[in-house]
Amino acid sequence: MGDNFIYISSRQVRWLIVLSFVFALILDSINIIGQNYLFLPPFTLLVLLYWAGHFLDYTYMSTAFAIGLFADTIYQNTLGVHALIYVVLTFAMLRHRLRFRGYTIWQQSLNIVGFCFIYQIMHLFTLAPKLDDQQQLAYWIMPLVGGVLWALIALSLNRLSQQNVTEN
Amino acid sequence: MAFILSLSVIAADRYGDFMGDFRSALLTLLDPVERIAQAPKLIYDNLTTDFTSYDELKLENERLKAELLLLNAKQQQLLKMEQEVGRLRALLGTTGQVNNATFQIATVNYFSNNPLSQFITINKGRMDGVQPKQTVIDAKGIIGQVVSITPSTSRILLITDPAHQIPVRIQRTGQRGILSGSGYDATQLNFIPKSSEVRVGDLLESSGLGGVFPSGYPVAVVTKVISQDSAPYYEIHASPLGELHQAQQVLILKQYRDSLTEIKSQASETPEQEEHKESNAETEQTKATEN
Repeated sequence: MGDNFIYISSRQVRWLIVLSFVFALILDSINIIGQNYLFLPPFTLLVLLYWAGHFLDYTYMSTAFAIGLFADTIYQNTLGVHALIYVVLTFAMLRHRLRFRGYTIWQQSLNIVGFCFIYQIMHLFTLAPKLDDQQQLAYWIMPLVGGVLWALIALSLNRLSQQNVTEN
Repeated sequence: MAFILSLSVIAADRYGDFMGDFRSALLTLLDPVERIAQAPKLIYDNLTTDFTSYDELKLENERLKAELLLLNAKQQQLLKMEQEVGRLRALLGTTGQVNNATFQIATVNYFSNNPLSQFITINKGRMDGVQPKQTVIDAKGIIGQVVSITPSTSRILLITDPAHQIPVRIQRTGQRGILSGSGYDATQLNFIPKSSEVRVGDLLESSGLGGVFPSGYPVAVVTKVISQDSAPYYEIHASPLGELHQAQQVLILKQYRDSLTEIKSQASETPEQEEHKESNAETEQTKATEN
């Protein structure tokens, strides 16, 4: 799946990157309004990992920091917590993104389950949410849901990136 | 670099008091995003709302008018009594109750209710004169305080948020403690030693210590008192009195320190000035109720 991406630079899909982050922020905001669904992963994290994992011309560390701060504002928790988690996970992605790009979509999803699991552990240690039994189940199911959603997000962004480059 | 920056921001927000403006700036940037995010819920609400018939609305309007008249009459008496109490308190040199007339009405845009954060967003912001740390109440008691402001909206951290704490006292005994949010639409009263008397049903009101919340407003009612042998303090659970997730309209109290200054200046005013102010206040109150 990575063949087409070798020739695409982040500059060519700049607007798509910006729009995807805005859309992810909207989805995170929708999730936080009313009853929060704890089994849903932060969409900003999935989109961030997609761009950091598929494009080699940027490290996306400063993007991770900025998007993390926005996530902190949306979730109304201590500023910097999501920024820290996103920076750590982006760094982990950068360490093996060459391999990651070559994986099939389901292998990638499996990796993302691991990333989401690390996110939950860091989240648990930094914010220490008080959860009842049902919420705990939803909280720990999140990495699996993240893996499933990754397939949808990655396929959509793959297609949109390729369309964008073809049109330009 | 980003890692160090993140840690610095956490430390600054956790232990400092200077990230409020930064958070407000971030929230202002996110304001359009949050407005778009509200759209699906608004559409859903509009579709599911029952249409009230014209006759029902007419009847309700008449009933409300009658209630308003009654309340106006009571309000006039209360206003005078309130000023009298303010004068007496100032003469005694005590600080405490704020002037109830200094408030702003706001409508709740949306709320977030999850174990990690509990807040509401209201439709009044910086352009309406809202400031950080202002106390927000509903008809039954304190519900939270302003934490972030955008030009047109404000975010209120509810008293049930795990990060929220409010100094309170037990109304019956005067025993002081700290009421912390526990994230489940409930609160926990900390630091009440076993030597003190506390029982289920006791009313907790704001103590005014710390200068953020005004004194004497009801906050919560004690629902469970647990005494563990090894612990020096009681484990006390309390249920908030305010309708945190049902209230459609809330009141933002004017900054506590501003109100105290007003009370002190009231005490030093001449009788002529006071009379003039009383008539002004009555006019303002009438305008507010008319609106």
